[in-house]
Order: sequence, then C-alpha cells, then structure tokens
Amino acid sequence: MAEDVAFKHIEKTSLIGKRIKKPDAPAKAIGKTRYINDMVLPQMLYGKILHAGRPHAEIISIDTSEAEKLAGVHLVITAKDTPDLKLGFVKDNAPLKSKVLCERDEVAAVAAESEAIAAAAIKLIKVSYKDLPGVFSAKDGLKKDAPQIQENFPGNKSLKFKFKHGDLAEAEAGSDIILDHVFNVHYVTHCCMGTSCAIADFDHNGKLTIYSQTQYPYNYKMDLAPALGIDPGDIRVIQPTTGGSFGAKLDVYPYEPVAAILAQKTGRPVKVLFDREEEFINSPTRQPAAIHLRTGCTSDGILTFRSADVLMDNGAYTSWGPTVPVIMMRTVSGHYRVPVIDFKAQAVYSNNAYAGSFRGYGNVQMTYATAQHMDMFAEELSEKHGMDPIEFHLKNAQKSGEVTPQKSYLRECVLAECLTTAAAASDYVNKHKTYTEACTEEGRYKRGIGLASSIHNAGGAKIHKSDGCGTILKMDDYARVTVITGASEIGQGIDAVISQIVSEELGVPPEHVTLVNNDSDIGPWDVGVHASRTTFIAGNGAKRAAIKAKKQILAAASKQANVTAEELDLRGGYVVQDKDGAAVIRLDRMLRQMHFQPTPDVVMVSDYYEPNSELEGKDHISDHSAAYSHAVHIAEVVVDTYTGEVKVEKVTMAQDVGRVINRMGLEAQMEGGLAFGLGFALSEEMIFEEGRLLNPSFRDYKVPTAPEMPEIEMHFIESDCEEGPYGAKGIAELPTIVIAPAIANAVYNATGIRFLNPPMSPEKVARAIWEKKQADS
Amino acid sequence: MSEIERYIAPNQLDDALEALAGGPVTIVAGATDLTPQITGGKRVYKATLMNIQHIEGLNAVTKKDGKIRIGSLVTVSEIRGNPMLKKHGGILCQAANHFASEQIRNAATIGGNICNASPAGDMIIPFLVLGAAVELARWQDDRIETRSVPLDEFFTGPGRSVARDDELLTAVIFDVPPENSIGFFRKSGPRPALEISTVSIGIGGDFSDGTLKNVRVAFGAVGPTALRGKLTEAALEGKTLNQDVIQAAALAARQDVSPIDDIRATKWYRTHLIGVFTEELLNNVCQN
Repeated sequence: MAEDVAFKHIEKTSLIGKRIKKPDAPAKAIGKTRYINDMVLPQMLYGKILHAGRPHAEIISIDTSEAEKLAGVHLVITAKDTPDLKLGFVKDNAPLKSKVLCERDEVAAVAAESEAIAAAAIKLIKVSYKDLPGVFSAKDGLKKDAPQIQENFPGNKSLKFKFKHGDLAEAEAGSDIILDHVFNVHYVTHCCMGTSCAIADFDHNGKLTIYSQTQYPYNYKMDLAPALGIDPGDIRVIQPTTGGSFGAKLDVYPYEPVAAILAQKTGRPVKVLFDREEEFINSPTRQPAAIHLRTGCTSDGILTFRSADVLMDNGAYTSWGPTVPVIMMRTVSGHYRVPVIDFKAQAVYSNNAYAGSFRGYGNVQMTYATAQHMDMFAEELSEKHGMDPIEFHLKNAQKSGEVTPQKSYLRECVLAECLTTAAAASDYVNKHKTYTEACTEEGRYKRGIGLASSIHNAGGAKIHKSDGCGTILKMDDYARVTVITGASEIGQGIDAVISQIVSEELGVPPEHVTLVNNDSDIGPWDVGVHASRTTFIAGNGAKRAAIKAKKQILAAASKQANVTAEELDLRGGYVVQDKDGAAVIRLDRMLRQMHFQPTPDVVMVSDYYEPNSELEGKDHISDHSAAYSHAVHIAEVVVDTYTGEVKVEKVTMAQDVGRVINRMGLEAQMEGGLAFGLGFALSEEMIFEEGRLLNPSFRDYKVPTAPEMPEIEMHFIESDCEEGPYGAKGIAELPTIVIAPAIANAVYNATGIRFLNPPMSPEKVARAIWEKKQADS
Repeated sequence: MSEIERYIAPNQLDDALEALAGGPVTIVAGATDLTPQITGGKRVYKATLMNIQHIEGLNAVTKKDGKIRIGSLVTVSEIRGNPMLKKHGGILCQAANHFASEQIRNAATIGGNICNASPAGDMIIPFLVLGAAVELARWQDDRIETRSVPLDEFFTGPGRSVARDDELLTAVIFDVPPENSIGFFRKSGPRPALEISTVSIGIGGDFSDGTLKNVRVAFGAVGPTALRGKLTEAALEGKTLNQDVIQAAALAARQDVSPIDDIRATKWYRTHLIGVFTEELLNNVCQN
C-alpha cells in the first residue's frame, strides 16, 4: 500500500441536491466572457440585411448599383442570386425574397469591410414596391375573398391539428356547469440579451463552418443545408457562448443562410449581427392564439369534458410557432383528469410576424385558459355548494399510474402534494375567503390570491425519431475528466449539472470535469436544448458514461487490491474500500498504472441514451415523454383599482422536480422562468398595426425589471422519477407556464373581474374596473 | 447619421458660447437622450459636436439672496442626494427618485433634461411647480449675454423651446420656497424603474391652516409640452382642502389636459390618471 493512502478514510457523501456553482458565472458577471456577438475572425466582412419594412408587396425592381459602388462594399445580393433556395420545415420561406409577405422580409444583403459601410450600403439600395392588400388576422385570412399569402397553401390554411376522445355530446349532457370562453393570447418575444448573430466561413473544399447561437446543432445542419444547396455533411456548427435563446434559436432563420451565402460568394468569413430594433422586428414571437375553451363539470366537482378550438395567426411563414398545438392538446387532455376531449387547432397564414418556439411552447397559452376555467369552477362550486377550492382541485388531480386520454403515462404523479403543499404554505383557503369578502368593499387597494397549476413533459418530448443524446467520456493521467456531450449549453446550466453528475459517480471534484459541447464535428448527436429535456436526457447520458468509466477503473483496481470490484468505490480522488472508505490508491495513480502497462487500459467510454418514450404520432396518441411533471403557483397580488397597477407581492410555488440535482441552478430556473411569465402576464406585448411592429425597443416593450420580481417561496416536491437521473425530472418551462393564470386568478379574487386577454396591463385593468363601476352604479 | 467634422470640449463658458455662435453645433452633456436619438435616427449630428461637461461653473447647486441656482451640468443623482434641496425643494428630490435608473441618473444632467423638451421630461414638472426660470447665455459683442426665461414660457412643442441655436442653458433658478411650502410629485407607468411616464404630475404651494396659496400644478405627458394646470390651480387657490375641493380639483385637472392616444396609453387612461393622481397628491397634502 502506498504511503499517501495509509490511514486515510473517506466517507461516502453525495453532491446530488447541493448547490453547485455554474462554471462560467464569474466570467459572465465581470464581463470577461466573449460572446459570439464579440467575435471577430481574420479577414471577416460584415453582413447587413435590407428588410422590407412593409407587410405585403410585389417587388417591381431592385437597383443595387449605388450600393455596389460604395468603397468597402464587397457584394450585394438579392433573391436573383439565391434561386430555388428554401427553408422552413414546410419550405415556405427563403433566405431572400422576391415578394414581400411580412415586415421583416429579407430583400437584399450586403457584405462590407465594416458595419458602418454595410449599413450605409443598405440605404443606397433602391427598391420599387407595389403594395398589396394584406391579411392581418387569422380570422381575416379565412375569409373567402382574403388575399392569398402563400401560393402553395390555398385559403391561407397552414397547419391543422385534431384530437378526439370520448363522446362529447354525452359528456355535455352529463355536465351541471359548462364554461365557455374565448381567451386571446397575445404576441410576446424572447428578448435575448445577446441579439441574433451568425458568422459563416467556407473553406476551399466547400465545407461551411458556421458560428451560431443555435440550440439544436445537429438537426440545424439538416435544416440549413437546403437553404444553401449544400449537403448537411458539409456543415460544421460551432456554438460560441450565447446570450440566451429560450426557444428563439430552435429553427434556422433567414439571416443565417444569408451570412453563409455572402461568405460563400465572397470567400471571406461574414458576420451578421442584429441591433436591438432589428432583433425585435426580425425574431420569432410566441405563437398568439384565440382559444375557444369549453369545460364541463358536475355539481360534485368532477370534470366531464374539455373542448378547445384554437385559431392561430401563422404569420407569413411557418416556423415552430404553429406546431404548439402538439403541447396545447396534452394540456387540454392532461391538465387534471378529463375523460372526454375534443381538440382542434388551425393556423392561418397572414402578413404578420411569425412565431417560433418559446419557453413553455403552447402550454403558456393553453394553461392561461385551462387554469382560469379551473378557478371559475372552484369559485362557483364554493359559492353554490360550499365546496373547498382545494378539495375541488384534489378531486380531479391525477395520481401515480394514471394514463391520460392521449396516453401520457403519469408514472410518478404528485400533483396532489403540490396542491396541498402550496395551499398550506400560503394559507390559500383563508386568504382567498377574506379577499373575496373584501372585494366589494370600498377602498383603492385590493388584495387577491390566485392558484394555478399545470402539467408539462419532463423527460423530453419525442417529436423526432430519436430524442436521445450521445456522450463520450475520457479520463487523463491526472484524473481529470473530459465529457464530450451532444447537449448544448445556452445559459441553462447543463455544464454545472454534468460536472456534478460525473463528480458524483467518479469521486472527483466538479471543477475537475471539463465539458466539450460546442462543435458538431466533435460532439455526438443530440436533439437540442428544448422541451425541458437536457438534465433528464444528457444527465442520464453523462451518468451512464460515468458509470461505465467507474466500472472500468474498479475492475482494474480490484485485480490490484485482491478484492472484488463491488467491494470498491471512488471517493474524493481515491479508490477506496466501499465498506469503511479506507483508501486503496489515489485515483490519478491508478489511472497511470492502467495506462502504462504492456496492454494499456485507458478510460475512454461512450454512451447513447435514448429515453423510453414513444414517438409523437399523427394521431397524437403516444407516451411521448419519459416523464411528466406538475407545478402549482399561488400568487398574491395587490391591485391599485385606480391606476390598474398589479403588484405581485409573493409567489408560493410547489413543483414536482423528481429530484433536486443542482439546487442553485434549479432555483435560478424557477426565478428566471417566473420572470418570463410575469412579463407575459402583466407588461410585455408586441403591438402591431397592419403587420408593422410599433414598439421595437425596450422603452416601449416592457420586460419586468428587478423591483417587479415578487418574493418567491419554492417547494420542491421530489417524486423520484424512475427513469430520470437520480430521480430527476425536467423543470425549466413550468415556472413560465403556471404563473400568468395564477396572477389572473388572483386579480379576479381582488377585483371580481376575469382577464381573458393578457397582458393585464395597468390601463386594461383600470379600464375594466372603471367600466364595471359604471355598470354597477 | 451625418458626419461629425469637429469635436470640442471647452473648459470655459465663453469658449463654448463662441463656438455656438460660430455655426451648427450639437451640444452633448450626459448623452442619455442624445445617444438613443442618434442611433434611432431621430436626430442627426451637426458639423460640430461640443461636449460641455468640462465647462467650469455649471455644476454647482447654490443658495444665495433668497434664490436657489442649479447649474445646468448638475446631474439627477446630485439633485437626489443634495441635503439643501431636500430641505428647500423636496419635490425635485422626489422626481429624481423616480427618474430612470441609477446609471442614467448618474449621467443625465438637469440642463439636458430641460433642453430635450420632452413632454414627459421628469425633472421639468418639479421645476414648473417651484416656479423656476432658466438662464440662457450667448456670445454677443465679445461678451457673455444672459437672459432669463420663466420655465412655463420656455417650451414651444415636443423637442422645441424658445432657446436660440446660439444659446446655452446655464442654470435653473427659483426662489427659496417659504417655510410652509409643500410639494408632491407622482409619475405613472407600469414599471417602478426605467419607465417613461405615462403621465406625471406635481403640485406645490404654501400650506397653512389647511389652506393652499400660491398653488402651482404641472402635468407631464398630457400635451405637446409639460404644462401648468391653470384650471386646477384656480380650483385650489386660497381654498381650505376638504374632499369637495379635492374632487373639484381632480375634475379641473381632467379638463386642464389634452392628451393623445399613443402606443403607451390612450387619451382616456391618461386623463383618468391625471384625476387619480391629483386626488392622491392633495390627500397627501392633507395628511402632511
């Protein structure tokens, strides 16, 4: 036995559930991080795009001659230079347009020596337009005489979804209360701190290296290739540090192929970077929707059916936005136990902005409706039948082992625990009763408390044929670990989580784990950061790879120590006896011994983890996620009934997280997710007039600021998910989904007014209260 | 953006005024309004860009001979933390408290906020309530010539004022308010920080035995310029404050203003808020 291990004993400890620092946080906090936006390559040119700035027009002519003459301009391109290049998964979009279908449409692009020259050149391009009558709402798009937007989609009909389960007529007949409302969910956008950016660089073999903010690097190649007319195999995606994505970078958008085409044609690297106004106008939005929701319930408080008819403004092109019904219908069919379901959704082309994916993905919109209906039932049943509101929720809450009509299998379901925990912690029932009684009394400031819950996929969502993730793990002679994972880091914290998981298995400090995950030529496949999936999927992959490495090390050590591998463990940088922690050998020494022998035994393992979920089929009947999770938010608000200002003072949340992995990262996701939902609920709104965005700035598009953040009390319910790493479930979208209807229900409790159309802006709230006063007097 | 041909940063007022007299000059101090206006394409640089930050004598707050003089380069943060102003012009500190964010308050100057002539300029309201005048200086016959303009005659429209191109705003001056004076400021917007006013309001005067005298009322973001509420003032002047008077003043306030609909608020909401805030501030006066 070597000297340095004599008398050394290392206790078994666990990092799971502890607070792990995010490795890149200090550099980000002090401004040292180099984001893609800061990157400059040798010989790089600056690309700039001319956007149409009008919603619907024919392009009569484009004169680029003045721009081309400007000193420092290398190239000007228009649609004529990019024929037959299409993008989007229904191929209805193009890098550059020959006809204008929305305000952001890319009409021409310039590559120049500097940003200033590129901007000046853009202004020298003369375009002659013939404006056309436009379609500015889904409803108008369906009219018989509506202008046709996309040639290949007659009647402006875009995507359509349907799901039916059970006998609706019978369920309606068996209902004592039927609620019937239309909720109009508005346009909001991601507001990433790092504006959109791409840097493209071709080598002389025709291979493209694209520095991108994408959150799905592997499918990205497949989506980008047809927009360039090249083979997906000839694309290398590098992901430098990015200033947020939140779904905005889950598709290819025209500025990316435009950068690549400029690079291809000039033979120089080309960078396209949006300024903030461009970012507002030319980024995807959240999918707006008119949700006609009907829900039935018996006087005993048992839900009988839900029917939802969703009309969506598709905008001019189809990105991920109009696919959100895939998740909306899981909420309609899975948010509480609902036996009969009738869901349909139709997207309609218009000349408005188009939507992408956005944290919460359809569920933010649908839960805003379903959770208000639940509150309406609770109010009516409490008033007419004296039913306790929590009892009503509990009656309909699913339990572990239940299966929804769409076949979501709720293996570990703790909705009831979430409800009772949040209600008890916030004193919901008493406060709700007190504020209800005070609602009609005189007084300027009214308090309210509101409860909302929802369900969301928490183990990926199998919308692609594989929802898996590859991991390659190697250890060097100094016991340092490198994990090459397919999972992208876009700020969400998988870097900390993977370090923590690998550290847990291999007994090395988390700071001895290096993550390599920003180069598609290096990393194995992964479907991207979305659907609250990364900790679950990539975490499982990292765990499985680390376990393989551990087995290999312990097998080697067992030969040396003359014990079985099962009697050994890795702790604190040592191979130890499992039973008493007695050190056997330092881990780095062990690794060197394995390495330097006639038959070298080097630790290099790989894993591909595919979750046990089923593909989301055309009929939408499948267990499409490896786990499902619930959250309950209880919001306490003060409403200034004169000014209409709603101040959210406190939010009590209880969420099924499966198991806490990195407590600090989890808390940060709860806070960040809530901030998104808060803005959606109260202040954020893209205001359009005939397809033109009127408020493309942070002055007039109001994201919440620090003083608006409420006190947050978090309760993490650990359901111990069998399939998740250490029992964990995906967590990041639910906080955004649940908060808005909780606030809406609290505002109702305070004022007696339902707000079906967010945001609950001061003016809207003040006006509704004033009108109610006029009507009452 | 047009080209800047010359950048100057004089230390002396006469040098600055000479430069102003010499041709088109863009004046910059804190740059908190200028920069977004330039980058947003709402304004273009003139041939000369003059940074006035280094001019001596424009950054002091003084009290002398019954007058308070605030140099045009005094920042909003300096107003906010000035103990003498807290005592004699508390409404200024209240408005400074609600002004943008810490970083912007540290850079933004009083002169800039006034010269930008925004109908929503937050510091304009308390100065109107204090009955302030601005001092404008220019270079004339080889010497500095100054004139004083009452602030309520200074603004002519959004972004426009009576200041001539060769004039520099050097100070804001007002009488030291009497011991029994009061002043309250209120602004609205959906956010507590970094918010452009949906409307703003200030009320001030001399308050003894429940009665207001020498009342001044000012409103922001409800017309082409920040404005004095003459009907409201009349409804309050010499009156003993009670709920009837307060209600009458709130009604008068709604008649004083002529706001527009824009993306930030409708005419209805702005008018509604003016009534609400008038009532609120007068209740504050009563409770004081």
